[in-house]
Amino acid sequence: MTEPLIAKTVRDVPSIDLYTSGHRTCAGCGAALGYRLLLKAAGLNTVILGPTGCMYVANGHQFLSSPYSVPWYHTQLGAGGAAGVGTAAAFRILMMKGKRQKEDVNVIVYGGDGGTGDMGLSGLSMAMGYDYKRFLYVLYDNESYANTGIQASSMTPWGASTTFTPAGRVKKVGNARMKKNVALIIAAHPGVRYVATATLHPPLDFFNKAKKALEANGPSFIHLLVPCPKGWFTDPKYTLDLSRKALETGLWVSWEYENGEFELSYVPKPRKHVKEYLRMQKRFQHLTEDKIEEIERATAKEWGYWKEMNERKKIILPWAAPP
Amino acid sequence: MSASKKASKSVMKTLPKKFMWTGTRAIAEAVKLADVDVIAAYPIRPYTGVMNSLAKMLADGEFTAEIIGADSEHSQFEIAKHASAVGARTFVGSSGVGLAYASEPIIVTALGQLPVVAMAGCRSLDDPGNFGMEWNDVLGFRDHGWLMAWAKDAQEALDMTLVAYKVSENQKVLLPSFVAVDGAAITHISVAVEPPTKDGVARFLPPYKPIHPLDPIYGPVTKAQHIAPSLIGPELRRVIDQAMKNASGVIEEAWETYADIIGREYPAFLEQDHTGDAEIVLVTMGAYAKDAMYAAAKLREQGIKVGVVRIRYFRPFPKKELSKAVAKAKAVGVLDFSYSFGSADDSSVLFNEVRSALYDSVSKPLLMDFMFVGGREPAIEHFERSVKLLKKSIEKGKTEKLVWWPTLRGEDA
Repeated sequence: MTEPLIAKTVRDVPSIDLYTSGHRTCAGCGAALGYRLLLKAAGLNTVILGPTGCMYVANGHQFLSSPYSVPWYHTQLGAGGAAGVGTAAAFRILMMKGKRQKEDVNVIVYGGDGGTGDMGLSGLSMAMGYDYKRFLYVLYDNESYANTGIQASSMTPWGASTTFTPAGRVKKVGNARMKKNVALIIAAHPGVRYVATATLHPPLDFFNKAKKALEANGPSFIHLLVPCPKGWFTDPKYTLDLSRKALETGLWVSWEYENGEFELSYVPKPRKHVKEYLRMQKRFQHLTEDKIEEIERATAKEWGYWKEMNERKKIILPWAAPP
Repeated sequence: MSASKKASKSVMKTLPKKFMWTGTRAIAEAVKLADVDVIAAYPIRPYTGVMNSLAKMLADGEFTAEIIGADSEHSQFEIAKHASAVGARTFVGSSGVGLAYASEPIIVTALGQLPVVAMAGCRSLDDPGNFGMEWNDVLGFRDHGWLMAWAKDAQEALDMTLVAYKVSENQKVLLPSFVAVDGAAITHISVAVEPPTKDGVARFLPPYKPIHPLDPIYGPVTKAQHIAPSLIGPELRRVIDQAMKNASGVIEEAWETYADIIGREYPAFLEQDHTGDAEIVLVTMGAYAKDAMYAAAKLREQGIKVGVVRIRYFRPFPKKELSKAVAKAKAVGVLDFSYSFGSADDSSVLFNEVRSALYDSVSKPLLMDFMFVGGREPAIEHFERSVKLLKKSIEKGKTEKLVWWPTLRGEDA
């Protein structure tokens, strides 16, 4: 296996874009930026499967234009894992039988938090059990069912106001479920060769992780946090700042898990108070100072576990009492 | 070895080789002969045997394919769909609620114009959990662009599977196919089956050549993107409509080619038994058509002019052929293993389809629906009695009671 080409500076990133114009995503869309970086990392010999979600609805266009310069096929909301397996299986057998020339073809699924962490979890789990090479599932997590109008998913953070969990006079908190950690669930699959989390900052981080994932010699998974101006009620110009603040406040943890070893990609030193991230977003504006402090306490407790994992290079389940 | 034994052995060698195979095993042999590339499996009775057989064949190296045990029927049909989109020949299948669980990928497979072939082992839908045979599991997809072939036995199931690939992969069609076989009666009953030769199948069914595969070698195809309905919505529906219309001719041609190359002949759409002079015609599909023919033969000995029509394709539905086959009949009875609660006359799916197909016919025979629902197996007497009820209607010149549930305890028994 060749050593993955890791970009050390932005100059190492291909200037060509394979995710181009022809979509109608919102201004400041984090998921669209993720798509752009992902396809830069993957290159032309790639097939993308897109489960229903923002990146299906917003990337299709009224005038039949397509933003993809590589083959792309929609798959049903819960079908990302199965679509990836079917596609990868076809390439492998057609090459084995001599029905298609032999070469490396990347099969990538780019699915949202609802389609992946809720409806598609079973199929994703199945897919991570098989041994297809150059098969990467990227979960782009904008923390809600955003294109249907911001309904909470199992990956919406505690305290966020969404259309299914609006903050009100009686239910003051908004979403009362804790955010599910899908990457840790995927790490529990013995066949998976590479699991990572990332966000849009720093930009080379996700690019390099996608490269490593594709070279991992087996199924791989990246959980990508993507700020969503529409769902988080933020100004489009703050998308990348939100990614950075998520890391600096420790509310997003960037890590890699490969060959049984865990490593944090970023350790905030010192960790900033969570309010620096939460107060940028109107979805949390109803939270009182007490509630913000409870989130801060829970985050501090969780970080004890993340640091322990980093020292021991092993996954343990981080836990803090719900606020 | 004695001379006579030797002689009989050499005679046996000249005869085509037959095997005692269940319907599921026979279909597995067809999948092997078709050199299928990707197989997606998930267990549910009574179809599962086909996947058991295929897994063993692959484990023993009888042929090469990817076989994937999925986490659900939904994933199973998605796997087949996406493998087909790349250009692989695929096989999948299910039964009963398994098909219901897979309904979303089943529907989009047809809309994606992907020539997936699926075996359906017909089974009652839950609740209650019921291993009995009904057609509603497959017929739930009658409106969604799948071709639907109904076999009468294991031999025909094998032949139909090969023809299904031929028809589905035809560029004028490119629609998926269900090969429906009645649960237990076909799936689990061993009969003598004569498989075609490998060479014959290779001549009949060349490898699948997709027009627009999802493969970077062929350039960046964007498939099934979100669209504005006002822009091409109706046009996309018409594409499937046209493909289904094209299928009729392609099916006919395929069975002729099959007879030429493989040497076994079938009528394309309808098997007709003594319909020429029949006053009464029983119309049905699947395995129980044989029982109906047996019952009809007995009744003909008693002087009742009764024939049987076995429909081989529910989609595309052979309207013209059916009208012709029953043109001289005074009464038509549908032996039906489906139901459609609240439909016109509270009847069933096949009956409504038959009635709709015969609406324009000049002869307008009397119609009756005999619903064998709930999975309780009918006996020959039930079919005989159905004929006698049809005869009574002819004598009275009208149908006093349209819908009968012959296997139900109580009023119709």
